[in-house]
Amino acid sequence: MRTIPVENDLSGLAALVRSWTVEVAGVDGEGRGSGILWHPNGLIVTNAHVVARTTRQRIKLADGREAEGKLLLRDDRRDIALIQSGISGAPDLPLGNPQALAPGALVLALGHPWGVANAMSLGVVHGVSLDRRGFPRYIAADVRLAPGNSGGPLVDATGRLVGVNAMIVGGLGVAIPVNVVQRVVREASQSGALPFPEAFAA
Amino acid sequence: MTALQSLSDDLAAAVDRASAALVSVHARRRIPASGILWKPDVVITNHHVIQREEGIKVTLADGTTVGATLAGRDPATDIAALRLERPAPTSAALGHGPLKVGQLVLALGRPGPAVTAALGVVSSAGGEWRTWSGGRIDQFVSLDVSIYDGFSGGALVNSAGEIVGMNSSGLSRGAAMTIPFPTIIRVAEQLLTSGHMRRGYVGVGLQSVRLPSAIASQLTPARDVGLMVVSVDDGGPAALAGLHIGDVIVAFDGHPASEPSEMLAQLTGDRIGQIAAVRVLRAGAFADLLLTVGERPARAGRR
Repeated sequence: MRTIPVENDLSGLAALVRSWTVEVAGVDGEGRGSGILWHPNGLIVTNAHVVARTTRQRIKLADGREAEGKLLLRDDRRDIALIQSGISGAPDLPLGNPQALAPGALVLALGHPWGVANAMSLGVVHGVSLDRRGFPRYIAADVRLAPGNSGGPLVDATGRLVGVNAMIVGGLGVAIPVNVVQRVVREASQSGALPFPEAFAA
Repeated sequence: MTALQSLSDDLAAAVDRASAALVSVHARRRIPASGILWKPDVVITNHHVIQREEGIKVTLADGTTVGATLAGRDPATDIAALRLERPAPTSAALGHGPLKVGQLVLALGRPGPAVTAALGVVSSAGGEWRTWSGGRIDQFVSLDVSIYDGFSGGALVNSAGEIVGMNSSGLSRGAAMTIPFPTIIRVAEQLLTSGHMRRGYVGVGLQSVRLPSAIASQLTPARDVGLMVVSVDDGGPAALAGLHIGDVIVAFDGHPASEPSEMLAQLTGDRIGQIAAVRVLRAGAFADLLLTVGERPARAGRR
């Protein structure tokens, strides 16, 4: 397990997660939400429903940097979109294991609910739903989410990404687990949809 | 390891510890409700989630499904006790002591095969209270946790993983409340022995009425409201004691009686068969009557 230097408080953890959380907005003003800086080469992950029908985005980091983004792929079924941005030098994204999430484990959601930038909410894992092969299908979490959180990260208590916040169902936050995102990225690199396919060969 | 990671691990361990006693209760059309394995052969759940009394099934933590019979239900406290056809290997670890405002708690349920968790705090804690239907609950505890499908009948767990109460959204217009375990034990033991909650019975219909000031000033403590008898059940304890329609009860067994709930509070199961003194205002003068508290008849099919 990689160790991540975090302070023993939530604001320290939030600052760490904020370094790879972005704001996504369509250039025409449509399609607003959050995103995750997935790779140092500028690849961004968000929800398909966040980008809606727009193909060009403005990407904003917490430190104020801005860049243009271009939609590479939109997977409506899995509600994942991949955007190529001009952001370079992003920190390595620490990935967690959704399969290891037990009900009651702490999770944090970062994002931009109702346009409030870089907001954080805290809760616990409600349950992890598995698909027929035993892989996590979605993560239900007892965290308060709002429109604008979509596409943003759900992280575990050490700040590792475990899911992409996507929906609110019956008051619970529902996130797409990181293993599904990895599959989307892998398939995209194999099909030639990514400009740096060698970066994702795994 | 960071403090957050260890807190997270502790919370997950608390859920894990309590989850062996969390079961699913299949007694309604919708998704199952939750229940708590109190003793190896007894499951406690909410009265309001039992929508059929035949063919009840319980799914245990290990995934096995066992038939269960309804031992009894108490609408007033929203508690039902089920007896398993085959005992389970485990039972609940219970916590003690009153709950405090701000205390970290987890609401657990098992609406499906897996246990589910929500985190929050005790948002208010008071003393003993009565539900709208007269059930006595040892401590008023409301929760700042989100209610989800299958929440009712689930366990409230403290940070040590001990079960301290059973959650219900059916006691207070859908708000998250918990029934503390002392209440559950008191009610469930009676349900298991007699099939229903024994409650005292007087056999009168009552209505609060204002007393004339000349009468009110003679009462200690001073009060200007009494309970007028508006109906008397034939052959009931009140009829046998000689109470009549129009009598105004001002005290029951020495306790002031201004609200029907105050008299209801006196009629606990342990009073059945005991003699109580009733002071009434009749034709402008006080009269003292003695009545023997009866047992409230069980009403078949009442929810």
